[in-house]
Amino acid sequence: MSTATSDAQSVAPVSAASRLAALRPVAEAVVGYGLLLFAAFATMAPFLWMVSTSFKTDPEVFRFPPSFVPQGLVWQNYLDVINAPDTGRQLINSLIFALGSTASNLAFCSLAGYALARMQFRGKTLVFALVVGLLMVPAQSQIVPVFLIVQKIPFAGGNDWLGNGGTGLLNTYWGMILPTAATPFGIFLMRQFFTRIPIEYEESARLDGARPFTIFWRILLPLARPAMAVLGVLSFQSAWNEFIWPLILTNSRDMATLQIGLQLLQSGPDARWNVVMAMATLITMPIIVVFLFAQRYVIDGAVTSGVKG
Amino acid sequence: MTFRSGAADAPAFNQNLGAYLFLAPALLILFLSLLLPAAATIGMSFTDISFLRPTNFVGLDNYLRLLSDGRFQQAVFNTSYYTLGVTLPTMVLGLLAAVALNRRFPFRVAFRTIFYLPVLTSLIAAAVVWVYIYEPYSGPMNGLLVSLGLPPQPWLQSPNLAMTALIIMAVWRDFGTAMIIYLAGLQDIPEEIYEAARLDGAGKFAILRRITVPMLSSVTFYLMIILIVQSFQVFGAIYVMTGGGPLGSTETIVFQMYQTAFGYTEFGYAAAMSTVLFFVILLFSIVGTKIMRKGEA
Repeated sequence: MSTATSDAQSVAPVSAASRLAALRPVAEAVVGYGLLLFAAFATMAPFLWMVSTSFKTDPEVFRFPPSFVPQGLVWQNYLDVINAPDTGRQLINSLIFALGSTASNLAFCSLAGYALARMQFRGKTLVFALVVGLLMVPAQSQIVPVFLIVQKIPFAGGNDWLGNGGTGLLNTYWGMILPTAATPFGIFLMRQFFTRIPIEYEESARLDGARPFTIFWRILLPLARPAMAVLGVLSFQSAWNEFIWPLILTNSRDMATLQIGLQLLQSGPDARWNVVMAMATLITMPIIVVFLFAQRYVIDGAVTSGVKG
Repeated sequence: MTFRSGAADAPAFNQNLGAYLFLAPALLILFLSLLLPAAATIGMSFTDISFLRPTNFVGLDNYLRLLSDGRFQQAVFNTSYYTLGVTLPTMVLGLLAAVALNRRFPFRVAFRTIFYLPVLTSLIAAAVVWVYIYEPYSGPMNGLLVSLGLPPQPWLQSPNLAMTALIIMAVWRDFGTAMIIYLAGLQDIPEEIYEAARLDGAGKFAILRRITVPMLSSVTFYLMIILIVQSFQVFGAIYVMTGGGPLGSTETIVFQMYQTAFGYTEFGYAAAMSTVLFFVILLFSIVGTKIMRKGEA
């Protein structure tokens, strides 16, 4: 946002001898802005409909053609969502899942990234090649075996040491978090970041005889705050929005996340569009707010994940 | 890579141990969530495992069955159609948005933010909102058609239109990603090339066609791979919006895999589907990475 005001002069029309020539940039700017505004409006339209419908009364929702502006602000739909018996439970589940996934990504990926960037050990090239190779494994095509592995974790959920007999980590927070607890992308991101920190920072500490974990915890981790912010926001966003793992790894109503809850609400027998839209709005807003605050970092991180991942 | 002293080449035992301890948690997770599943899928695809009766080794039976399974072929066709339909428009819109936003002008960041918002929205929230938009009797899409004097359409309820409706929604959700990646690519094109072209009197479209697009070719190719890999795995939108219907017209490979495993408990057969998908996607990924490396060198 900060650049917007300083650029204001650059589109001012150029004064030229010919009137027609002078009008051309103006006309181009008008057409350009017009197209951009149209595209922006088309992109925003689903969001605007979502918010607008969430404020409508029941009879208003069924009017055709629907009106873009609601007759009044009906907050009842939001109260209906918040007061629904399952919503509180789903919010807690979503928060535990998203925060757990974020915390474990921050911890595990930074540790592994540091080891790959800075420590010397046998098999380092192999481990790094493995991480880069796993970047390419499509997660969605693994739903069947991941389900079985989570079910067969030994000693969990009534399982014996061979992983038989019980339900393992199915229907638990641990099970949901497990497939997202560390990602090749996260390790790669942290490794790239640690590689760029000058070696001098830790050399003096090493000469003083500090242990590797002390160096990591006291010196490197504080320097890695920007990378941790990117990884944290991206991990939280992807876990908060996650659908397939909670869907497959849980089947009890008590373990449903908000995403599952929204799907259940929408496909349920007494679905009301205004209430469904109120819930969709409530689920979407936190991520958008976080994004608006962390915009620069997140877009950089997204570019890194897309281009370099 | 920096040169290191000779001592570093032979790390002490305890340094090895330290590094392994740092790596252990992450590697254990990757082993359980990616490596072992990939291996297990391939193994299971040669069995008739279902957890309801004893498991038998069936050799290539599952794969032979896939070859003659009309439903699976329909799913492969649907997935390919969807992938093609999403990938091309997403890249074109993403490129146009990136080129438009690559200059400095007022509200540039606001436009960029707006175009990126759909990427941030949860898939389920987006899917639910689009189900409402496509609602035949009270939805905004038909409201728009009617106000333009056009006949309303049964979007998600029509076997001919449902896939198109899903594609429109996916393009809406994905073109922000394409825009961001293209914006990063545009930063790498030297300004001098544009200046030289302008001095030679090249018009805006000539510059776009002759300079921008060719200079972005490695980014384009890489983006195409990302989009193909992602579209090949489409599941959530199908699950929420159509459930594979109407008449199987939107049944994709991952959706069918989900049904085969968790609906019909034919885990072995689903694993064979998964293996086919896995290698197709892996192939695209490897090609994409190769291209990317070449672009960086």
